[in-house]
Amino acid sequence: MSDFFFGLPLFDDFERLQRQMTNLLTGAPVSIRAGRFGAFPPINLGSTDDSVEIVAFAPGIDPAKLEVTVDKGLLTINGEREAAPDAEGESRSYARERFTGSFRRAVELPRDADPDNVRARYVNGCLIVTVGKRESSKPRSIAIQ
Amino acid sequence: MNDKTQVTERDTSAVAQRTGERSSKTPAVVPAVDVVEDKHGITLWADLPGVTRENLDLRVEGPNLFIEAEATVPMPAELRVHHTEMQQPRFARAFTLSADFDTAQIDASLKDGVLKLTIPRREEARPRRIDVSVD
Repeated sequence: MSDFFFGLPLFDDFERLQRQMTNLLTGAPVSIRAGRFGAFPPINLGSTDDSVEIVAFAPGIDPAKLEVTVDKGLLTINGEREAAPDAEGESRSYARERFTGSFRRAVELPRDADPDNVRARYVNGCLIVTVGKRESSKPRSIAIQ
Repeated sequence: MNDKTQVTERDTSAVAQRTGERSSKTPAVVPAVDVVEDKHGITLWADLPGVTRENLDLRVEGPNLFIEAEATVPMPAELRVHHTEMQQPRFARAFTLSADFDTAQIDASLKDGVLKLTIPRREEARPRRIDVSVD
């Protein structure tokens, strides 16, 4: 039964529908703490003992138009994605699902993150931000005397 | 190889085709697309962040166009994941093309995680003016 409900791409279609509905219904009141559904770019977050890794899935952006800032423990990703140039002459558009316009996403960094040690790179449409952790906060064993 | 093994081989190919169909049903993200048609044909853009050319699989089977891709993001091995908005590293989407498109002439390019497909219209299917002669 669980296989019937999960493992089907059905939920992706629901998700897409919901995303489109959210786009249509912007302006309706939502919970003040709710994350915007389908916010662009989607962000995945993980950490290792040495660093915090943030991946923003933002394809098709000129890296010069991406701005990553760290301020008071808040990492902000700003940017803009331009719409594809309109085809000349008579053309019809059947789908416009891809995000266009400017965006801004913020991630609260853990307290042990080191704002002086941030590296950002743009690979295959993914913005990967690596924030180092402070030396003092790394796990270490204490010698017993 | 006798007749019997040949029959079995044919059966496995049928099974392989079925599993191929099923593999497209494994959880995958439906990528966002833009589709625009002009007089030359159709242009499709699809967002495939983290996908390299080697991990992109474009197939035309009969009238259907399949876009399947696997995203790879370089990450340290001992990563503990805390928050995911991109749930699956796979993308899959399929489209049906009508007969007036020339599937043999599809042009694909992938740049910064955006796939651009140009599907030209068949020469005989291009719109054209018909001159009316007056006697």
